[in-house]
Amino acid sequence: MNYMPGTASLIEDIDKKHLVLLRDGRTLIGFLRSIDQFANLVLHQTVERIHVGKKYGDIPRGIFVVRGENVVLLGEIDLEKESDTPLQQVSIEEILEEQRVEQQTRLEAEKLKVQALKDRGLSLPRADTLDEY
Amino acid sequence: MDLLGDHEENLAERLSKMVIENELEDPAIMTAVQTRPVLQPQPGSLNSSIWDGSEVLRRIRGPLLAQEMPAVSVLEYALPQRTPQAPEDDRDLSERALPRRSTSPVIGSPPVRAVPIGTPPKQMAVPSFNQQILCPKPVHVRPPMPPRYPAPYGERMSPNQLCSVPNSSLLGHPFPPSVPPVLSPLQRAQLLGGAQLQPGRMSPSQFARVPGFVGSPLAAAMNPKLLQGRVGQMLPPAPGFRAFFSAPPPATPPPPQQHPPGPGPHLQNLRSQAPMFRPDTTHLHPQHRRLLHQRQQQNRNQHRNLNGAGDRGSHRSSHHDHLRKDPYANLMLQREKDWVSKIQMMQLQSTDPYLDDFYYQNYFEKLEKLSAAEEVQGDGPKKERTKLITPQVAKLEHTYKPVQFEGSLGKLTVSSVNNPRKMIDAVVTSRSEDDETKEKQVRDKRRKTLVIIEKTYSLLLDVEDYERRYLLSLEEERPALMEERKHKICSMYDNLRGKLPGQERPSDDHFVQIMCIRKGKRMVARILPFLSTEQAADILMTTARSLPFLIKKDAQDEVLPCLLSPFSLLVYHLPSVTVTSLLQQLMNLPQSAAAPAPSNPHLTAVLQNKFGLSLLLVVLSRGEDLQSSDPAAESTQNNQWTEVMFTATQELLRIPQAALAKPLSIPTNLVSLFSRYVDRQKLNLLETKLQLVQGIR
Repeated sequence: MNYMPGTASLIEDIDKKHLVLLRDGRTLIGFLRSIDQFANLVLHQTVERIHVGKKYGDIPRGIFVVRGENVVLLGEIDLEKESDTPLQQVSIEEILEEQRVEQQTRLEAEKLKVQALKDRGLSLPRADTLDEY
Repeated sequence: MDLLGDHEENLAERLSKMVIENELEDPAIMTAVQTRPVLQPQPGSLNSSIWDGSEVLRRIRGPLLAQEMPAVSVLEYALPQRTPQAPEDDRDLSERALPRRSTSPVIGSPPVRAVPIGTPPKQMAVPSFNQQILCPKPVHVRPPMPPRYPAPYGERMSPNQLCSVPNSSLLGHPFPPSVPPVLSPLQRAQLLGGAQLQPGRMSPSQFARVPGFVGSPLAAAMNPKLLQGRVGQMLPPAPGFRAFFSAPPPATPPPPQQHPPGPGPHLQNLRSQAPMFRPDTTHLHPQHRRLLHQRQQQNRNQHRNLNGAGDRGSHRSSHHDHLRKDPYANLMLQREKDWVSKIQMMQLQSTDPYLDDFYYQNYFEKLEKLSAAEEVQGDGPKKERTKLITPQVAKLEHTYKPVQFEGSLGKLTVSSVNNPRKMIDAVVTSRSEDDETKEKQVRDKRRKTLVIIEKTYSLLLDVEDYERRYLLSLEEERPALMEERKHKICSMYDNLRGKLPGQERPSDDHFVQIMCIRKGKRMVARILPFLSTEQAADILMTTARSLPFLIKKDAQDEVLPCLLSPFSLLVYHLPSVTVTSLLQQLMNLPQSAAAPAPSNPHLTAVLQNKFGLSLLLVVLSRGEDLQSSDPAAESTQNNQWTEVMFTATQELLRIPQAALAKPLSIPTNLVSLFSRYVDRQKLNLLETKLQLVQGIR
């Protein structure tokens, strides 16, 4: 049965594997089992995938219920092309370590930048005064 | 013994009342209309009613034991005891099992639910679901109406079934003007019964319970007769619907089987209600249907595993293999999918698709025109033009009528979703002139100009829309539309020039202020085609007069060139006199040839601006056209023009070459123009200066 062609509807995506990007930056991959009118999602056999550079690591999470407003985008994963990726899968510990390292370098670069601006008499607005978006 | 006899008598009586032609005689409906619910009418009959129908009994018992509580409306509680033969048999009778009066009656609030709104459907055995709701087909066959519970009472037709009778006059008349919409919310809620069709409030359990009701409005909509007419009203406002049943209509209600005299009178009424209904607009555009068919075909192909399907086919088949092996598949039932789908469809309902969905409508219109044009050329097989109908909902006026209890003074006013209470009284206070500083005054003036621009823009959009409305309207309405349009154009012009009651427009200031704002300039460019020649000429003159100022203000926006095209169009319609004076204004030529000013900053500014120079050239070209085309014109005009041209050429010669702008377009007849007034040498000079000869550029 075809549902509302020409509109964006998730009904045809049910029971298919999806990649979901959340507003907090997390990437979830799972089978979309159920939806509702707010695009709340129920993901089955979900895996949280962390990407650092060319590597990624999967953390199995089970069943996720995601509130619709937190979804940035989602897309169907082609099961056959899924393994066809230049990225390298590593273990969870390794990827978490990599993530930590990346976070650290980013913070340091940020600090340098802020310092440089301060030296020149400029200042960036504080993060807490910025909007989330 | 006696008791049994009594029972039988009662039964016979009730059975005879079963076949009721006229709803008004139906005690069940009439009692429902009463404002004051009767508490315990006849205990005797109560007992007999429960015990009479064994089926009924079973159904009441079952859900009670299972502790299931489908979504109910509170009105069940407020209703008097209804006989089980009431025409509501289609509804889920398990609702009766719930305690009565455990919630407050409806007073303007949305009905209270035992189960929260938005609960997904429970697992109920549901008969055929009306798929037409989701993918309505243009020529619609009325969906089959399987009676949920065996109807032992033969011919009796419930209101639900009445709805689904084709060509029923009841359907054709959802807003009978004669029916006063003064049912109290309580009454309305009572009549609604279990079938509320409000978006977001639907739960599929309700949905499933009244398939007939839900399907029927669409059936009505898709009814071929109504199809040609106006409307798909997918969501008949239930109050209007049921109201027809309860309130005594002025004419006798026709029995359900009778066909109306024709769709005409009903459609007339519909038209009067909603003159903007457009029969062609769709919510699933024909293009979508084609996509739909394509996809269907694709799926079918893959299912059959055609040989030439290719990679895609194999992918699909493996995908379906996956589905087959997937033990967790179909956790979401078809019913639930349909439910979500229905909610999403409801969100597409609109009272005015051209307002809500402008770009979508226009895009698909364009596509259609394109394909139609192609078809005409190609002369291929004519594609079936399936016109689907948008579920257009007429705008309803929900007036809140405060509930009044009998025997009390005054009315209760409760603040609820349907009638919100006003919390803040925002009052606009205007300041006095004295305390404002100069800056504030300037700011306020600018704000006022912005407001004027916005208002004029709204008028402009309306005026631009009139063409479309004209096409959709009836013959009688057209003069009124034209009047409206003219009126709006006049107001637009007044807004532009400043609404001064005096004869002259003493100051250009108002207009210039508008033209200083980017949006104002674009708006003027759009308005110009609608104005009369005199009005447009007036605008043009004012622009020419204040051109240097405008050029200065436009330095950042650079929007003036957008005005060139409407202005050029206008100039080519202007008479000679106007052109002459326009040229004078534009070049700021001294009125008398006797005393030329040493420098002409006005002209310099004009020439250094792209728009200014282009406009000047256009004006010159027009003048030349007039001269050359009509040599026997009035001599005074001729003389004026010649004089002006002489001064003009002199000025042009004097202007230094440097920093001349590049005009948007150069009219071709300028060389011949200048050749009349200057000699060879100077002509060459002018040519080089103004780059009139193509080769130089």
